Amino acid sequence: MQTAIRPANAPKKNRRPSGKHLRRLAPLLTFAALLLFWHWVVAMRFYPIFMVPPPAAVLEAFAEALTSGLLLEHTRTTLEEMLYGLLFGLGIGITIGYAIAKMPLLERLLSPIIVAFQATPIVAYAPLLLIWFPSGITSKIVTTAVIVFFPMLISVVVGIRTVSPSLKDMMRSLNATPWQIFRHLELPAALPMLLAGLKVSATLSVIGAVVGEFIGSGGGLGYLVTLARNQYDTPLVIVAVLTMTAIALTLYSFAAFLEWRLLAWQRRASL
Amino acid sequence: MHRIIPLCFAFMLAAASALSAQNDLVDERILLTFIPNVQFAPFYIGIEDGHFAAAGFDISLEHLQEPEVVDLVAAGQAGFGIVSGEQVILARAQGRDVVYVYEWFQQYPVGIVTPSAAQVSAVVDLRGRKIGIPGRFGASYSGLTTLLQSAGLSEADIELNEIGFNAPEAFCLGAVDAAVVYVNNEPLQIRHRARAGDCGSITDVDVIPVAAQADLVSNGLIVSRQFLDSQPDVIQMMVSGFDAALQTAIHNPAQAYLISLNYVDNLPADADFVAELQKLSARQDLFLAAGPGPEQISASRQAMRQALADVFDAAVLTQFEVLLATIPLWEAERLGHTDLASWQTMRDTLLLMNMLGDAETELESAFTNRFIQGPSP
Repeated sequence: MQTAIRPANAPKKNRRPSGKHLRRLAPLLTFAALLLFWHWVVAMRFYPIFMVPPPAAVLEAFAEALTSGLLLEHTRTTLEEMLYGLLFGLGIGITIGYAIAKMPLLERLLSPIIVAFQATPIVAYAPLLLIWFPSGITSKIVTTAVIVFFPMLISVVVGIRTVSPSLKDMMRSLNATPWQIFRHLELPAALPMLLAGLKVSATLSVIGAVVGEFIGSGGGLGYLVTLARNQYDTPLVIVAVLTMTAIALTLYSFAAFLEWRLLAWQRRASL
Repeated sequence: MHRIIPLCFAFMLAAASALSAQNDLVDERILLTFIPNVQFAPFYIGIEDGHFAAAGFDISLEHLQEPEVVDLVAAGQAGFGIVSGEQVILARAQGRDVVYVYEWFQQYPVGIVTPSAAQVSAVVDLRGRKIGIPGRFGASYSGLTTLLQSAGLSEADIELNEIGFNAPEAFCLGAVDAAVVYVNNEPLQIRHRARAGDCGSITDVDVIPVAAQADLVSNGLIVSRQFLDSQPDVIQMMVSGFDAALQTAIHNPAQAYLISLNYVDNLPADADFVAELQKLSARQDLFLAAGPGPEQISASRQAMRQALADVFDAAVLTQFEVLLATIPLWEAERLGHTDLASWQTMRDTLLLMNMLGDAETELESAFTNRFIQGPSP
């Protein structure tokens, strides 16, 4: 059997030319498979059409909601609630998380309350938030802030505590100020955990806002779902749900992008 | 010993026969809205007194949101459901072929509660006020729209706040000036709180019922068109069973409350209260045996309430009073009968609310009175 000898300067033959492309296409393939499955369920009439409408009906509802401004209006409301909620929730989570990481006594004092609060499903006490914060979107912002607060807090505590004490000692021996220790040691060391927390929080913020809207609101995608359900408009319900999914994915992707950019040094260091 | 054996055998045979009879029943669901509540007493009576079993069903009750009730009934995944009339119109316009076969609530139960001190005696006095509503959907929203329209007002003339199902809290906290409520329930709770000094500066409340301004089709029993066409005799038996249960609830609320204790958690059930109810229930049965008229029965209910109010405080009595306040909403010369005019008013309201769009809104197929007993009025 003869074996072909490749010249040394010949370009390398890519034995798996489709591998990289396949990885890139994987999400699209999943999406296409889901779409096919959906179409199949409709075609097989497992459910009446009013329960599972065909993709085309949903697309039509999407176009209608988009052109009428209905979808944009409610998406804007949900985004507003989410972003304010994220801002407050992350701010409080980072602040308290840092304080807890630095002061073990504070952890002992606060952890029972924080864990108890987190262990309780938010839908159970969201109606109370609506009563306590009755004006406009405040209750939805609070719901979002509450739901994103905990993952961030835990990420900060774990992140700050991963910093090696010997490195801290070394910086102190070099007369570094607390700010310099934070800026040049703790923050970079905690950043991976912080960004992981951000990814979780960003996704959860959609849940927070929508739960608040389900309990009582005059706008937002959760409200649009309730409205569409009460008008028996199943395609519009699906449009609203898919919009929520798209928002969550976008936020997650943004957080992942931030992680990729901000942790470039880590990748370089590991090479 | 040899005498006991045949007796045991006979007992086992009887038990087996009873079990077999029970097994002949078809498992079926009635889908209700809200949560288990004394207002659903006719359904509890239907089960406990065997009215539904007589129709051939072993009934279980489930509580869902109205759209889910309609969809599951329309898809044939549940035989019966209870929803308000506007849901039937909206659902039919979107391809759900459900039919309303029994109007349970003869009066639309929605109204607006205001503090007595606000002196809101007419709908027009609501202009410029902050009104709380569960959301811009469902019976509350339809009722409010109708009420406003009756006074020449629209949503633009008021400040509407979505407060979820928290009317008593939002109202007593002063977050709203008025609230859209179910007239048989929340006003009693708010009044109870107000009198206990637990409702801010509010000491008493007034209610403007939608039913005083317009006749809208309200809560009733629905089935799918397919079920109706294929098994009308079964639906007839079910409707008759429910009708009998409803009459029991109307005639003897003490008995209805006692039966509800098996189904509704947290219903006041102190031993003294239960004993008094049992006494009143037995007395009412004797009274009913004499064949009293509707006015006399109504007076007997009030006497029942007074007898209890003399002994028990408001906290114990509130839910019984909710039941008593609900009964007039059920009562009619011909229980279960529904009329086209109320459906037309409801459709007009939905059109006004832009909830029907260009959809087909033919009404004649949306309901039927063919299963209703008694002569036409």
